[in-house]
Amino acid sequence: MTDTLTPTLLPLGDRGLLIRFAESLSDDANRAAIGFAARVEAAGVRGVVEIVPNLVSVLLRYEPGAIGFDALAGEVRLLVSAPGQPAAGDAEHRVTVHFDGEDLSEVAGLVRLLVADFIAAHNAAPLRVLATGFAPGFIYCGMHPEALVVPRRGVVRRQVPAGTVLFAAGQTAITSTAIPTGWHVIGHTEFRNFDPAAEPPTTVRAGDSVAFVAS
Amino acid sequence: MSAIRITRAGPLATLQDAGRPGLLRHGISASGPMDRTAFERAGVWLGAAGATGIEFTTAGLGFVAEGSVSIAVDGGSFELSIDGEAKSWPSRALLSAGSIVDIRPGPAGNYGYLRFDREIDVPLVMGSRATSSIAGIGGLDGRALRAGDVLPLGATLPRGRGQHPTPATVADGPIRVIRGIHADRFSNAIRQRFVTDAFAVSPQLDRMGVRLADPGQVFAEAKILSLVSDAVVPGDIQILGDGTPIVLMRDHQPTGGYPRIATVVTADLDRFSQLRPGTQVRFAPVTVAHAEGLKP
Repeated sequence: MTDTLTPTLLPLGDRGLLIRFAESLSDDANRAAIGFAARVEAAGVRGVVEIVPNLVSVLLRYEPGAIGFDALAGEVRLLVSAPGQPAAGDAEHRVTVHFDGEDLSEVAGLVRLLVADFIAAHNAAPLRVLATGFAPGFIYCGMHPEALVVPRRGVVRRQVPAGTVLFAAGQTAITSTAIPTGWHVIGHTEFRNFDPAAEPPTTVRAGDSVAFVAS
Repeated sequence: MSAIRITRAGPLATLQDAGRPGLLRHGISASGPMDRTAFERAGVWLGAAGATGIEFTTAGLGFVAEGSVSIAVDGGSFELSIDGEAKSWPSRALLSAGSIVDIRPGPAGNYGYLRFDREIDVPLVMGSRATSSIAGIGGLDGRALRAGDVLPLGATLPRGRGQHPTPATVADGPIRVIRGIHADRFSNAIRQRFVTDAFAVSPQLDRMGVRLADPGQVFAEAKILSLVSDAVVPGDIQILGDGTPIVLMRDHQPTGGYPRIATVVTADLDRFSQLRPGTQVRFAPVTVAHAEGLKP
């Protein structure tokens, strides 16, 4: 699957190379980005100081004293077309959710389900972690089936606390710090993915799977 | 053991060190000094400086030494007095217990740096003592300094060979940029005007970003919707939904979904951070290969 998408290579500043697999979010492009990030990590490319998988792209930050953009782009092209995949070591997480969010009944109404049926539909299948990095420990999980897709809210909430379970755009997201958000609040959880005293400070990685369970 | 007691601090005075790069996937931007070269110069004057220093703004800084300590200051152009006696800028001094230091804004710059011949004794958070104003971590309890704070200082570092402080020559001329990851989403006319029209630093600036005034309304018509978010780097220039350009700085959001027309080259970001509100800014495009070889 990964090999069928030919990415675009772009500079991001003078110390970054962005490998973009698509212009919009799709499951294929997301898998391609996460898979490619794992491949670069396994290959250990000289001069690369940070590998950041995004929703449909990967940022490689590099040290120009060790490698230039053109040379790194060459390495990237070789890795994109190289056969084989790194072994999938993707972890599974179980997240207990208290479905008591302020927007829960509105969201259920938007998808024409009773609240209990919405919760059942939401938890029906494990989701994949599509991306991390929006805020400390924040994770995007997706994709829900088409019938559960709702747009973002019109109004941004100034702050929701850590452990808020958010829903929009075919995804469920979990906060680990207080953030502003334009997503619907459908519940909260004791699950946390950020501990500044731990190494690494977050443990959920893009590509992991998350099973949601109602409390 | 020595310490300093803060008597006056602006709302944005923070502890900074080299920052915590490499944590974008965890949702944490690197932080670190807004003007890294000025921060490094203050360390050079001391010869051996603790890795952590204080970054202060045009609100200035006042403190009392509680024990003897060597300090150096640099960055922008501020007015320094020690026990009521005016000193030059940049400067290096040996303080004795009870010395009163007062730093007030001078003619130029947004950020100044105070460094010591020893480490500031606050906990390391993810390998750094830098304050992240966006994540609320590091420094002193993840917050800005305020009057009454006491910063304990560690043991004196092995003496280094310091230098007599001399004012830096700051380059002027346009801020150099690399084509942004969404440059192709803007029309040719807008891309052209971005590097020919003048912008200005607005009063809305902090460690996260600097909003620009756009008197020519270059971006008034740039309507770009629904981009998939990507990781952000310092210097990214994103255009908000209302057409406001904003240059993302050291405490930047780790990811962003607004279109980015350009990224300020690493070598010019320190200089850019010191431009005061009202200063005219022009951007000049350079190639990545050129930018990679530039020194700040």
